[in-house]
Amino acid sequence: MIVAGIDVGGKNVHAIIAKNGTILAKAEAPSGIKKAEAAEQLYEEVLKQAGLKREDVARVVATGSSGQRVTFADGVIPDAAADARGVIKLIPSARTVIDVGAEEGRAIKVSPEGKVLDFAINEKCAAGTGTFVDTMARALEMPVEEMAKLSLQSTRSIPMNAQCAVFGESEVVSLIHQKMPKHDIARAVHDAIAGRISSVARIVGLEDDIVMVGGVAKNVGFVESLRRDIGAGVKVPDDPEYIGALGAAAAAAAGVLEEKVEAKVVEKEVVEEGEA
Amino acid sequence: MAKYKTKGLDCWGRAKELRMKYYQDYKEAHDRGALRWEGGAWTFDALPQALEGEVHSLTEEPYGASVGANPEVQVRYQEAAEGKWGCARDLCAYLRNYWGSIVLDEYFFGGKWPKADFIFQNHICCAHAKWLQVAAELEGGDVPFFCFDVGAGAYDKIGERQINYVVEQLYDGIEFLERATGRKVSDEKLIQNVQNTYRSACYWAKTCELNQAIPAPLDEKTMFSLYVLGTLEKSTSAIADFYEKELYPEVKDRVANKIAAVGDEQCRVLGDTQPPWGFLSIFRYLEKYGVVSIASLYTFSLIGWWEIDEQGKIVPYPTLEEQGITIKDRDQALRLLAEGELKGKLMWAPFYGAKYKNDIVTKIAKQWKCDAAILHLNRGCEGTAQHQMELKIALQNMKLPVMTFEGNMADEREFDEARTKRFMDLFLTETLGLKKVAD
Amino acid sequence: MEASEILKQCNDVWELRHEYAKDWKRRTGGKVVGYMCTYAPEEVLYAADILPIRILGGHEAPSLATPHMFDMWCPFSRDCLNQGLKGKYNDYLDGIMETNACLHMRQAFGAWTIHVPTPWNYWFVMPNAVRSPRAKTFLAGELAEFKKAIEEWTGKTITDKDVDRGIDIMNTNRRLMKQVYEFRKEDNPPITGTEAMTMVWASQLMDKREHNDLLKQLLEALPDRKLDRNTGVRLMIVGSENDDRPFMEMVEDVLEGTFVIDEHCTGSRYFWNEVVPEKDRLQAIANRYCDRVPCPNKDWGMEDCTRTRFPHILQLAQDYGVQGAILIQQKFCDPHELDIPSLRRYLEDNGIPCYFLEFEVTVPLGQFRIRVEAFLEQIRAEELFV
Repeated sequence: MIVAGIDVGGKNVHAIIAKNGTILAKAEAPSGIKKAEAAEQLYEEVLKQAGLKREDVARVVATGSSGQRVTFADGVIPDAAADARGVIKLIPSARTVIDVGAEEGRAIKVSPEGKVLDFAINEKCAAGTGTFVDTMARALEMPVEEMAKLSLQSTRSIPMNAQCAVFGESEVVSLIHQKMPKHDIARAVHDAIAGRISSVARIVGLEDDIVMVGGVAKNVGFVESLRRDIGAGVKVPDDPEYIGALGAAAAAAAGVLEEKVEAKVVEKEVVEEGEA
Repeated sequence: MAKYKTKGLDCWGRAKELRMKYYQDYKEAHDRGALRWEGGAWTFDALPQALEGEVHSLTEEPYGASVGANPEVQVRYQEAAEGKWGCARDLCAYLRNYWGSIVLDEYFFGGKWPKADFIFQNHICCAHAKWLQVAAELEGGDVPFFCFDVGAGAYDKIGERQINYVVEQLYDGIEFLERATGRKVSDEKLIQNVQNTYRSACYWAKTCELNQAIPAPLDEKTMFSLYVLGTLEKSTSAIADFYEKELYPEVKDRVANKIAAVGDEQCRVLGDTQPPWGFLSIFRYLEKYGVVSIASLYTFSLIGWWEIDEQGKIVPYPTLEEQGITIKDRDQALRLLAEGELKGKLMWAPFYGAKYKNDIVTKIAKQWKCDAAILHLNRGCEGTAQHQMELKIALQNMKLPVMTFEGNMADEREFDEARTKRFMDLFLTETLGLKKVAD
Repeated sequence: MEASEILKQCNDVWELRHEYAKDWKRRTGGKVVGYMCTYAPEEVLYAADILPIRILGGHEAPSLATPHMFDMWCPFSRDCLNQGLKGKYNDYLDGIMETNACLHMRQAFGAWTIHVPTPWNYWFVMPNAVRSPRAKTFLAGELAEFKKAIEEWTGKTITDKDVDRGIDIMNTNRRLMKQVYEFRKEDNPPITGTEAMTMVWASQLMDKREHNDLLKQLLEALPDRKLDRNTGVRLMIVGSENDDRPFMEMVEDVLEGTFVIDEHCTGSRYFWNEVVPEKDRLQAIANRYCDRVPCPNKDWGMEDCTRTRFPHILQLAQDYGVQGAILIQQKFCDPHELDIPSLRRYLEDNGIPCYFLEFEVTVPLGQFRIRVEAFLEQIRAEELFV
């Protein structure tokens, strides 16, 4: 059976087409403002890559913060659920999944079957997201990839405010003016976000194997900082940014969809909201 | 076909009527030559309500919550408190609503801000006394202000010394009232008010106890609109009668006839702290999965009194009748009032440490047969949100699935409804394995 | 000893607080109890030959604390808990105590007693209605129970003589620090604000008898001390807990300002009032804690909406020739957030310009420098046109 998984996130869309557990094609693109359109276009692209037509695909499952916008999907699953399924598919020994994307950082405790047992989200705060990394890289006037590699040269730990991205950026500017070496500042940035993410991960408990996914998992500096912070190994699968789409495809293959149900509840009298 | 019968509460209309009358009375008090006073939901209102003549109160938290249920007004009031007065945005959301209301000289229930004749408050958290201290400043600084301290220790440490501490303050409070108003406190009224306080507190607890039944006769969303009366005027006969003679018998009847709050109850959840008042629709969202929020320390004990019995179970605090007590005089009335609040209000126990909250709430989870917990990490109230993460650990240790979501009880700028529903979908479908029963 | 050397020793105790406490234990064989709020009655602890030390943060991101206290709680309280969870106190802390302090610290204490292996813990019910005479009676009773609990724990009876000793140790320390503070009234104080703060931090972290010895030497050294710096703008720092040395140094070493006085609980509010001895020792101690300059969460009256702390702050400002006040507050700190709008108005109405800053475990020095510099410029410009 041929299935597709589409992950529509805050910054990017990822799509995978798979047949009997094997990936036939994958693609990614910025999600922009018109997310439904971006998903549509990317789906066409990945179909083309696989040499397939829409009717060849038995089932499409969407996920991601804007998964609901994928009008051609047969169903939607929550993004953390997609992460869990995707990771278990690649690394069956995974028990803790850490996903840091552009706008959200989260930790998921997974069962061997890929079920979400517990989750914690870095809420209302950019300091635990890819956006924080992007902002700091801009302050250091270098691409994120360069900042990541540079941080590996540092042997020094500088405490940095990690509760607030605005304060954090301010501190980077201060450190630059204090003529702190850029590789040390780069490490401080990654240590700060790693501290933030590890504190979220500790809410669900750190149980091996710990797997990191999402766009920020490609940041070698962050992964190193996270390893140091939690004092344990962190596995990063190939193409970690595709895990959500992979998990959605796995859900499609397993036939897990949002069921549409007829309303069964007896109509109740409408009560006034907000009485306290 | 729904699993259980369900219907609305017969006494619902009466509850609404009592609430609206309360706010109207406060507004019109001076027109009738009545006194009006500001205080807290936990204030010993039995005392000022025992003054000769007509007396009406405005309790700060329910007022703040009423504003919070209207996001448009709430933002305006809070921006006034933050922008014009200059307070921090992370302070108690109710308090900012209240201060903003005064700053704008607006009464949420219509007209200008009705200035109080005196303030009668109690203090247990960082904010309570200060709230009305600042309110008094905002009102011109000339409103007589009395505040007493109920931070005498956790319920299991209350003995004569602790009760005396509060009783002595109550005597001081009576002196203050008589001095500030030129009226006398009537012992007859005081005794009646203390009796009413017992009835309100104990019968609300008895009503909550009935939610141990399957199906639960009440859901938390409905309960919010019912406990609130006890936060307004628990010492009045009208409110006490409502709890003892209307609500409790009706809910008992619902249990006997298996009338459910939610017809498709398939999962009972434990809550904590106030909900985001402007977004109570999230409870209706949970109901699509047959999930009903049926219990929380907050809803049970904000006004309800409880005790831990010899078997270690949480049971309603005994009424005066059950204790075989007839109040004879002022001193006995004050002692019983202090004792009931200090021993019975389990909501105060978390102020003395996480172990208390864990112990009480895990008992609630067991006794009320909860299947899961959904905890609102409430940025709007430090008092009720204490120890929530420790509570999560304690509940998970008893193998209860727990979900948390950040929000604010009365500041819509801090609550993301869509995101919260996303998390709920994840928790309900993945962790709990539930399917929707309604659309 | 020179003043600089004495102050360096104070700084060493602050920086190496755990090593100090471990060494103290080795030397004396005594117990160490941590406290989280300055309403803890240290007199009774000293009476029992226990070393009381204040639990302070480590100025690190409190990532271990998040599973126990979510992010809306003040960073200082989370930092304190983080230190405990990191095991910094495991080697030596015998007990930990908390009072009816702010809700943030109560949470840190609650989580600590569950997850940090400190053998003994105690909740001390410090009444909130400190202006009521009822509170003094109640507090004396609480002290009696506390004393009894300590006796049961240590297996040693605390006599009146022991309590006298405890009171004397604490009073001497308070008195000596206040005497040091007198020097800050001078036109060119021989001790900077940073140094004075360091002295107080050391008081909270070491045996006060040893601290008293240092203070006596400091008092001898200060009259002849001349600092090679301009006093600049005379500042007051007011607010919640502060042991942010880099911030203090930034203002004093870089911006030509001097903190000539402070009012916070790692400063003067901690030690300003002494116990007035009475036959009933516990009542005397109770009176002191009720009458001391209050934490904002206890600064409210029984009859009116006034505060006692505000006139005290103004008096300090006047006595110390303050030109401007920096109001600091740990992020999310309720007690101070409740007071600051009123305090600001009060001080400004009385001619003391104010500037507000929000503190975290680390502070953005660059940003704060710009802001404080502008504030100092504003004060200097106003002085120019007076």
